[in-house]
Amino acid sequence: MKLYYFLFELGDTLLYLKQVLIRTSFSSQRREEIFEKSLEVIHQSLLTTLFAGFFVGAIMTLQFTLQMKMFNALSYLGALVTSATVREVGPLLIAFLLSGKIGAFTSAELGTMKVSEQIDAIRCLGADPLREVIVPRFLGIIIASFFLLTMGLLLSFGGGLLMAITFGQLHWEQYISHIPNVVHVFSIVSGVVKCLIFSLVIATLCTYRGYKVIGGAKDVGEGVVVAATQTMIALVFADWFSTFILEGLLNG
Amino acid sequence: MIEFKGLTKSFGKRTILKNLDLKIEKGKIVFILGMSGTGKSVLLKNIVGLLKPDSGEIHVNNFAVHQLSETEMMEVRKFCGMVFQQPALFDFLTVFENVAYGLRKHFNLEEEQIRKQVKESLELVALGDIGHKWPHELSYGMKKRVSLARTVALKPKILLFDEPTTGLDPISTNRVNELILNLSKNLGTTSIVVSHDMESALSVADHIVVLDGGGLLTQGTPEEMRTSPVPLVREFLLEVSE
Repeated sequence: MKLYYFLFELGDTLLYLKQVLIRTSFSSQRREEIFEKSLEVIHQSLLTTLFAGFFVGAIMTLQFTLQMKMFNALSYLGALVTSATVREVGPLLIAFLLSGKIGAFTSAELGTMKVSEQIDAIRCLGADPLREVIVPRFLGIIIASFFLLTMGLLLSFGGGLLMAITFGQLHWEQYISHIPNVVHVFSIVSGVVKCLIFSLVIATLCTYRGYKVIGGAKDVGEGVVVAATQTMIALVFADWFSTFILEGLLNG
Repeated sequence: MIEFKGLTKSFGKRTILKNLDLKIEKGKIVFILGMSGTGKSVLLKNIVGLLKPDSGEIHVNNFAVHQLSETEMMEVRKFCGMVFQQPALFDFLTVFENVAYGLRKHFNLEEEQIRKQVKESLELVALGDIGHKWPHELSYGMKKRVSLARTVALKPKILLFDEPTTGLDPISTNRVNELILNLSKNLGTTSIVVSHDMESALSVADHIVVLDGGGLLTQGTPEEMRTSPVPLVREFLLEVSE
């Protein structure tokens, strides 16, 4: 029964994604709405993302410093931290944070619109709610999340460097010296591709969960919880899957 | 004319409407009364295609609504407006833009004409000067009246009201009842009003339909209802006399 429910939900989410993508347009009016939504999301989450990004780098540096000292390989600290952060830890942790912040907000907003009959009213007034309400939010979240994830990754480098200088007594030139040996263009591309995939996951699941709410205030609350949980599970899965594919491409 | 033939609608295992047959004549004001959960709102949502029947037919003028796709329903929604149980105003738009929304989507009108129609519609519900305000700045009663103005602005031939006077003060209730009467008299609008308010029904309706247990319990003119022996109708009438 649970498998049936899972498959049904998965199929319905993919059909929903298809419906949203079909309706995607970049007319001048729509561009303005998407830009507004992106700015709104960035405004809501920029500080938190930068804060999280900075400390992801800082924590990774703290964790690796002791081990690198043991092997007398402190000069490789920067390369190791940057590689792990850019390719794996950074995008995933920041995406978790964004799924909580943007995802909860969006699913609650759409769920409330649904239970207060605003979505029905839009249909009755001659408009398509997917086109009018979902598409600007969907694209706005993708653009904003991608931007925020990238900014978070840049800050994580800063956080790592600062911690290495203050905690590891490392000179900045030493910290960055081995980065080019470990972090290749592919590592950066891999991080950027993951950021894009995570943005798509957050935008799809959070708008889908909000749009599918039926009932009242309690159901909106449940929708938000389900959106947050499912997004996190989907992010972990997407991370594993994208790593699998990207590493395959690198080694293949 | 609106006609339902053998309309059945269920949610999960719960059947809300069972094999309902009903005809509503053009230009009439029809009140639909009944206890909560008897499918009154579900009936209205079926007319505008917000819900699809499990079986049965719905004919609105020349349209077989039960067979239409979401895109085809747009034609029906141009002449068939609905006022929802909740105000359902868009939080992200001002009152003016809320009322103008349907005009912009359904019709290709000049901005000047939109302004004129929005102003007229807000004046109809005695809220002429609040176009610049946001929905959160309004009281519940004002929101309901703006919602009414938004639907009336489209000048629909058929108007569906889902409990339009719930939560309104007596003066606003009378104003809404007058508006329904005037629209019917001046524009020949067919109005279907879902309500618990027997007093409004007796004073405004041409015809009253009472639903119970998902089916038609009784129907008739207000005069026939006043003398009806049906227990549920007597209960509704008791509230009026009290």
